[in-house]
Amino acid sequence: MNAQNVGKINFVGALITLATIFAAILWAFPIYWGIISSLKPEDEVVRPYIELWPDTLTFQHYWFALTQTQIGRWYINSIGTAVGVTFLTVTTSMFAGYAISQLNFPFRRTLYWIILASFMVPTQVLIINHFVLIANLGLLNTWAGIILPQLIHPVIIIIYKQFFDQVPKDFREAAVMDNAGEFRILFKVYMPLNWGVTTAVSIVTFIWSWNAFLWPFLAVTKTELMTITVGITQVNDAFGVYYARQLSAAVLAGFPVALAYLLFQRKVTEAITLSAGIKG
Amino acid sequence: MLRNHKSETIVAMILIAPFIAIYGLIFIYPTVDMFLLSFQKAPLIGDGTWVGVDNYTRLASDRRFDTAFWNTAYFVALSVVPGTFVALFISLGISRLSGRIQALVLALFFLPYILPVSVVYRIWDWTLNFQFGIAMHVFDWLGFDRIPIFKITGWFMPAVAFVTIWWTAGFSILLFLAGLRAIPVEIYEASSLDNASRWQTFRKITWPLLWPVTALVLTIQLISQLKIFDQVYLFSTGGRPNDNLVMVYYIFQRAFVNNHGGRAAAIAVVLFIIVIVVSVLNFQLMRFAGKKQ
Amino acid sequence: MKNIKKITAAAALLIGVSTTLYAEENVVWWDFLGGGDGVRMKKLISDFNEANAGAIKIDATTLEWGVPFYTKVQTSVAVGEAPDVMTYHASRIPLALEQNVLDEITPADWATMGFGEADFATQIWDGVTGADGKTYGVPLDTHPIVLYYNKDVLGAAGQLNADGTPKGMGSREEFTAMLQAIADAGSVKFPLGSVTADGNFMFRTIYSLVGQQNGELMTDGEFLAGDNAKKLENALGVLQEWTNAGLQSTYTDYPATVALFTSGEAAMMINGVWEVPTMTDLHASGKLFEWGAVELPVIFDKPSTYSDSHVFAIPKGSSQDPAKRAAVLKAISGILNESLFWATAGHIPANNAVTNSAEYKAMEPNATYSSLTANMIYDPKTPLAGVAGPIFDVMSTHFVPTLNGEMDPAEAVSAIKEDLSDM
Repeated sequence: MNAQNVGKINFVGALITLATIFAAILWAFPIYWGIISSLKPEDEVVRPYIELWPDTLTFQHYWFALTQTQIGRWYINSIGTAVGVTFLTVTTSMFAGYAISQLNFPFRRTLYWIILASFMVPTQVLIINHFVLIANLGLLNTWAGIILPQLIHPVIIIIYKQFFDQVPKDFREAAVMDNAGEFRILFKVYMPLNWGVTTAVSIVTFIWSWNAFLWPFLAVTKTELMTITVGITQVNDAFGVYYARQLSAAVLAGFPVALAYLLFQRKVTEAITLSAGIKG
Repeated sequence: MLRNHKSETIVAMILIAPFIAIYGLIFIYPTVDMFLLSFQKAPLIGDGTWVGVDNYTRLASDRRFDTAFWNTAYFVALSVVPGTFVALFISLGISRLSGRIQALVLALFFLPYILPVSVVYRIWDWTLNFQFGIAMHVFDWLGFDRIPIFKITGWFMPAVAFVTIWWTAGFSILLFLAGLRAIPVEIYEASSLDNASRWQTFRKITWPLLWPVTALVLTIQLISQLKIFDQVYLFSTGGRPNDNLVMVYYIFQRAFVNNHGGRAAAIAVVLFIIVIVVSVLNFQLMRFAGKKQ
Repeated sequence: MKNIKKITAAAALLIGVSTTLYAEENVVWWDFLGGGDGVRMKKLISDFNEANAGAIKIDATTLEWGVPFYTKVQTSVAVGEAPDVMTYHASRIPLALEQNVLDEITPADWATMGFGEADFATQIWDGVTGADGKTYGVPLDTHPIVLYYNKDVLGAAGQLNADGTPKGMGSREEFTAMLQAIADAGSVKFPLGSVTADGNFMFRTIYSLVGQQNGELMTDGEFLAGDNAKKLENALGVLQEWTNAGLQSTYTDYPATVALFTSGEAAMMINGVWEVPTMTDLHASGKLFEWGAVELPVIFDKPSTYSDSHVFAIPKGSSQDPAKRAAVLKAISGILNESLFWATAGHIPANNAVTNSAEYKAMEPNATYSSLTANMIYDPKTPLAGVAGPIFDVMSTHFVPTLNGEMDPAEAVSAIKEDLSDM
């Protein structure tokens, strides 16, 4: 579309650009508003007129969460379990995706259809089975217990399969000529060629795992093992008016991932664009 | 190509073994369990008695099931196609920008996607709060009465659809951006030489070339929104849950509040079938529309 | 695997018994107490742990109130991972018994704790007794709703008695007239603030009004039998009347209601006793007007206030080890004995010894409203009732539109009746 701007003074074009920028600001405004409200004392939050910047800037709501709760541990649990889910999901999916894409074995198609079908089951319905299972394995209140049921992400296999399918056959043939075994082909050829996909898929899985609530909630009964999304629901020091307090808890839960995104934005954008199976 | 069939199978087995093991344990086994449960009268946890298709036949006269079914259909209609087009137009706007402005604008549109649903809920519940929400001032300026959005049935679904689009558009925007980037610049240069209008360019060039991406986004959105739960549950607290039910919410209610494990499983199976049917229809529709391009 | 578990458990039991004198008993405790309650309970627990260091330690976890908490209890009991003791709502005991999650509190247990039927009000004791006559919870408190009022505004409108309590408390006409007088004085946005955006919460007010007509939600397993449907309609009717006349706040959620009251925009507020510390703290820091809290006005025939109880319950399947049991009972009775401090959270302690004490009687505003204990009405005893039970969603769905003038009370009642029978 940049071609259209070449050499022309474009009134409509400029209008569209302005509109886009304005829309973006409006779009992100609720997030800004939520953050600003969390920095006000409660009695200011409920003033009837709009104050876009706090009259009294206060961190009291954050202070409570940061000092009176185990928020540090919650962050660690979130990071640990999210990394675990990401690593396991990505590796097992990559292996399976490679097999389905490149190898011939009995029931290959059936397996692929089952994987597709599982994309259509809402995971909430499986949650009780998961709970009984994890309890019987003695994994409640452990990272393993939080991680295990979160490993269902069939779409990752599908993505890997698509990408492995698109690797030009010559690479494979050359490797086979060199008498390389399948494992070497995977690790030395296919994986390096698709590093972008792996990055993309890892990031997306990490976000999904970080934001999970229902399962980590059921799987953990001890405060020190909660993830941030679960722990933050416990944060409360009084009743009464609590809008700012709840918003600050929300900010604390979402902040790390948002920060990580802003820092690594370029990479994430590239990565996710690739993950849809479309080459940019 | 030289292939050693037997060793290939063995290697394949080794590669898929970890996946199968985990998958079998946390997906296949519970899903089969769920199917079996749907034919029993059983509590959430515990043994039940076999009742055949009773749980299914009940659904025909189940008012809440009816509500959940139509609400889900309504929600899908409100969020899938509009959401896709909102994302499309935003990405058309973004792709015209460049450099830092583009990066900033993209970041602003994408940020909501990173947030967990509970945070999205808090932010919008606060913004649309009847007494103190900042959005209420918009009603004031337009001269309308303020409306308690999430407590009025007519407003609830559209509002939740709006919030959902706000939350998930970022991902679709990126897909569209990638698709737009894949269109060669030469095609646009050629059309501008022909003095084609903006709209003509879009209709004749951009839209058809972008169709594979559009179809992909529509499909992903469709399957995801059929399974919606969190937002509806959160925004209904204290409000009118039984009027706002969607399929997964109803399953949740039956299972966790009413303690009817068997009945909940039956509804889950029905939802599963609905999603399959809709997906197959969608697949055919996309293929047909694709041929037309 | 099960046999190994049994043997290990038996061995642990033997070892446990023999080392009781030397080991500290770890009592795993779950509660759903957040907010001002939570702060106070944490203090009670840490005081207990200090006093019993080396012998018993309460290991407490606070979980989210409502459906999450109760689901968790249910799932944990099913797999044998339940805590040693937990807080529970008396209104949910019938459902809990149906789900088989509670262990009986035996007469021997009561004796060990040093409490018994005589220590609690009849209704409270009844609240923890199952249909089989056995008890399943140890009552900690009752937490009704009360009428908070702004003494300054009411005084200015001439609506205060000599003793500082509001005037129009005796009948529907009186109370409505008082609301109108306050509205006419023109100094507030709403004479009365109620949580009209939350149907679950309004259940408390509405059920109180039903109780005031001597009605009940369930009679012998049937919902709204006889003229109870009409009584519910009356209750909804009077509330809707106030909203339509601009005398009551519309679509206000919980924090908004409190905000309206504390900012002076609502002259009165119907809310739970647990907001007492909020008011006390604000007043102490000079940010609040003179305020008071009294029993709800008598709108219909007799005084009646909805209430529920926090109780301590022992989940089924938790350790049967006598030493552990003894520790749990000691923990419960320890907290119960200190429930005077719990009263600072606004709750009315269940323990008669505390409520009869001079210190409690001197506590304000608790002393002013504790008269309502004689007039409390609890949830019906059915597995469908109680916090986060199935009835919650039905009530919420139909109350919210009715209270805010959107739905006709008669319509709402028949819809409710239909839904309840459809469970």
